[in-house]
Amino acid sequence: MKYVVLAGAALATLAAALLVGPANLPLADLPGSAIVWQLRLPRAVLAFLVGGALGVAGTSLQALVRNPLADPFLLGLSGGAGLGAVAAIALHLPGPWALPLAAFVGAVGAMALVYRLGLMGGAELDPRILLLGGVAAIALHLPGPWALPLAAFVGAVGAMALVYRLGLMGGAELDPRILLLGGVAVGAFAAAITTALVSLAQATELRNAFLWLWGGFSGASWTTVLVMLAYAPLPLGVLVASARPLDLLALGEEPAQYLGADVRRLKRVVYLAASLLTAAAVAVAGVIGFVGLVVPHLCRLVWGRLHRTLLPTAFLTGGILLAAADTLARTVVAPRELPVGIVTALLGVPVFAFLLRRWTVS
Amino acid sequence: MRRWTVRTHLAGLVALAAVACARGEHASAAGPAVTDDAGRRVALAVPARRIVSLLPSFTEILFAIGAGHRLVGRTAWCDYPPAALAVPSVGDGIPPNVEAVAARRPDLVVLYRSGQNATAAEQLERLGIRTVLLDLNRLEELAPAARRLGVLTGRTAAGDSLARAMDSLVSQSPESPIPSPKSLVFLVWDNPPIVIGAGSYLDRLAGLAGARNVFHDIAAPSAQVSIETIAARNPDFIAVLSDTAAPPRYAGRPEWRVVPAVRKRRFLFLPGGLFGRPGPRAREAVRELRRRLETTP
Repeated sequence: MKYVVLAGAALATLAAALLVGPANLPLADLPGSAIVWQLRLPRAVLAFLVGGALGVAGTSLQALVRNPLADPFLLGLSGGAGLGAVAAIALHLPGPWALPLAAFVGAVGAMALVYRLGLMGGAELDPRILLLGGVAAIALHLPGPWALPLAAFVGAVGAMALVYRLGLMGGAELDPRILLLGGVAVGAFAAAITTALVSLAQATELRNAFLWLWGGFSGASWTTVLVMLAYAPLPLGVLVASARPLDLLALGEEPAQYLGADVRRLKRVVYLAASLLTAAAVAVAGVIGFVGLVVPHLCRLVWGRLHRTLLPTAFLTGGILLAAADTLARTVVAPRELPVGIVTALLGVPVFAFLLRRWTVS
Repeated sequence: MRRWTVRTHLAGLVALAAVACARGEHASAAGPAVTDDAGRRVALAVPARRIVSLLPSFTEILFAIGAGHRLVGRTAWCDYPPAALAVPSVGDGIPPNVEAVAARRPDLVVLYRSGQNATAAEQLERLGIRTVLLDLNRLEELAPAARRLGVLTGRTAAGDSLARAMDSLVSQSPESPIPSPKSLVFLVWDNPPIVIGAGSYLDRLAGLAGARNVFHDIAAPSAQVSIETIAARNPDFIAVLSDTAAPPRYAGRPEWRVVPAVRKRRFLFLPGGLFGRPGPRAREAVRELRRRLETTP
């Protein structure tokens, strides 16, 4: 039943995305129009795929680190992707593939670093990394003239700590807590290098790279849909196949182990798959926050905690939310356009607050 | 320990600078004085002799009113007139490198009014260096800037004459209407697409050249739009600021080829030096744009 409802909503959203737009095409012209086939359709499909990918990545990461605040971008991926993209622009890499590819390489690089960090030191929480992560998080959210120098400082200290710890590394256990903190630190480090590149480079183009980083679907085409279709199915399949062990993981690592889940392997596979999914999303659409954080909670509130249901519903809900948000972003202030992240937040937060209230009361 | 010594020295320098600054105030009773766009009164004892210009437009204006030889510093972007290149550069100016500017020992620093530049101006004033903050975003702001720079450099007559020329350009209607008016879009960036709106220098240039900016209904200087909107407005030309005539990278991409002018490669490549900044050559820019509109197929 829920799948029928969600599929219906998804189709309605996609249809709306095709029908409306700033160009005001008459209905009769729609089937033959290049605006529909080359602009609206790829854009709607891409928004849907990216929203779905972020929803699924968020759901599995929250299960993995057993932390409700986990978000695909908390793991340093956005920082890495941003760095890759800015480097691509700075190096004048040509061709339509360069930017998404460089962003992807950057995100995967950050992912690898965080993964190595998370692997080290066994199960004990290192207070130094905790502190570093905390400072980095503050630096990232500070406004005004203090944020950049502080983030740069934290980035430098982070690099130092990183090298130091990597040298000491011996254990082979993936610690989810260190994964989170390491992610924040590596993200801040990458952001510091990005900022340095942008402020030192002469090219005014680089300033515009930040616009790209804020995220959006202006650059959507069948090529970017293809990028998403090339990268997304494998990690999506891996995550859906991990649904049952993820349920067990919610009981705690040891109980899950006793109940037959290969916890060590599960954590690695889920982390890698979710990161790949996020990296692909960033590569084609920049950093679109909020979807990966809130969609999992939304689905859990409505459809319960079993991942066999949760993962597909998170995909559909994320897709619907982002495709609808993008349609609004294109149309409400036409001829201008809103950054899609603003719309997802404006649309999602009230719904989320309403659900939270309703479910906690009952 | 060492750092503390340095700090004490710095404090001493700042104190000295403050004294110098206070002395400057007293001596400035009879010299040239203007009110800048930050609402500050800028008074000099004598017309400025050592000027640092932190915007290419100001550099052009100073040369145009015959005060170019008094420039002792410019930004890395100031490349016109060619004589400007002989003036030492103090960096890219975003934000101004206060130390590099102060090292040129200027008696007047001309800055574009922005938050960052206001901070830099404050720092320079604390070192006893006079500063003037001027707006220069639109064609209309050229004349007041020229007039005030004329006063401060003792070239009042030249400043007024340039200002009058700019004012007459502002108030003029297109010389002779083009038989079939052309439409264009100024495309600043492709992903996300950023275009120029009505509150800008370029929009005004297009109007004077007899062309219609298809995003004239957007009041802001620039705005993000979708490719679909550009396609729907169907401009005759895509105007890009570029010194080479190589088609932009996005021109070959399928989503951009939905815009007819991109598909037909109807690009106007406008040299950044002439079109990228408001300046005394505005009339020349209008003429050049018109010529390109008429000759580009």
